[in-house]
Amino acid sequence: MEVTERELYTILHGLVLGTLFLLAFGGGMAGLWSLRSQLVTEEGVKERTPRLLIGTAVMAIVAWLTVISGTFIAYPWYRAAPPEGTNLEDPAALADFPRYLLLAQEKTAGWHEFGMEWKEHVAWIAPFLATAVAFAVAYYGVQLIRRGDIRRAVMIFFVLAFAAAGVAGLFGAFITKAAPVA
Amino acid sequence: MTAPQTGTKPNGPVAAVFVASGIASLVLGVFVTLNEVSEDINSFLRFDANYGLGSGVGPLSGKVALATIAFVVSWVVLHVLWRGKELSFGAVFIVSLILVGLGFALTFPPIFLLFAPAE
Repeated sequence: MEVTERELYTILHGLVLGTLFLLAFGGGMAGLWSLRSQLVTEEGVKERTPRLLIGTAVMAIVAWLTVISGTFIAYPWYRAAPPEGTNLEDPAALADFPRYLLLAQEKTAGWHEFGMEWKEHVAWIAPFLATAVAFAVAYYGVQLIRRGDIRRAVMIFFVLAFAAAGVAGLFGAFITKAAPVA
Repeated sequence: MTAPQTGTKPNGPVAAVFVASGIASLVLGVFVTLNEVSEDINSFLRFDANYGLGSGVGPLSGKVALATIAFVVSWVVLHVLWRGKELSFGAVFIVSLILVGLGFALTFPPIFLLFAPAE
């Protein structure tokens, strides 16, 4: 049983941070959804607001950590070029060069040309939106229950942040299966 | 501007961060597309080689750095402009959604590759 340094990193990037992101989204969304005066008492609002703030702040922090680590640590491993003279049509020679391994075969090229090209960019929208959500929750705190317009906008941005991260996470899992960086 | 809602803080600072996140999304999408259009822009966006921002990241380093700068700068500027003000949040949110939508669209390969020169 062995886990390489790169495998350990991809576990941290995809599985650990990804799970935290999912948990924070689930908790945050449930909190935002039920933050309505007909559903909770004033005491209830005070009790759940800190939890909501933690959930949205964790989601924003995790989103930033995930895109920064993915872009500046894992992505260079993915796009590393093979030495000159390597046969770019021979998958066996490209095992350590995921981008080139995917492009070497017609059946896997789409994972790079569509999947990775979309994932590497769309993921970065998530931290912008998640930060806006966390700021709005921190700014209004318990007053958010009286600002239905802001609460609805926050929920929509929250879902969009999750969608952006979801696309990136899903393609990340598929691409890692087709051509691991380890 | 609209009248402040009784008993709550003015929405200007929240409007600022919503619009800033839309601007950042659009800036990201614009540079993703421009990277396909021109070799010169592709070279400019290699912030890893040009400015030491990471190693082996390529033009993605410039795209994300510029989007992040756009986010921070526009957030600060709009926050200062709108601090203490109550804006029509519906209009602000629609603008933000349009910006985010354009950002999403321009990061979608079938769209940004339309701007790539024919091979």
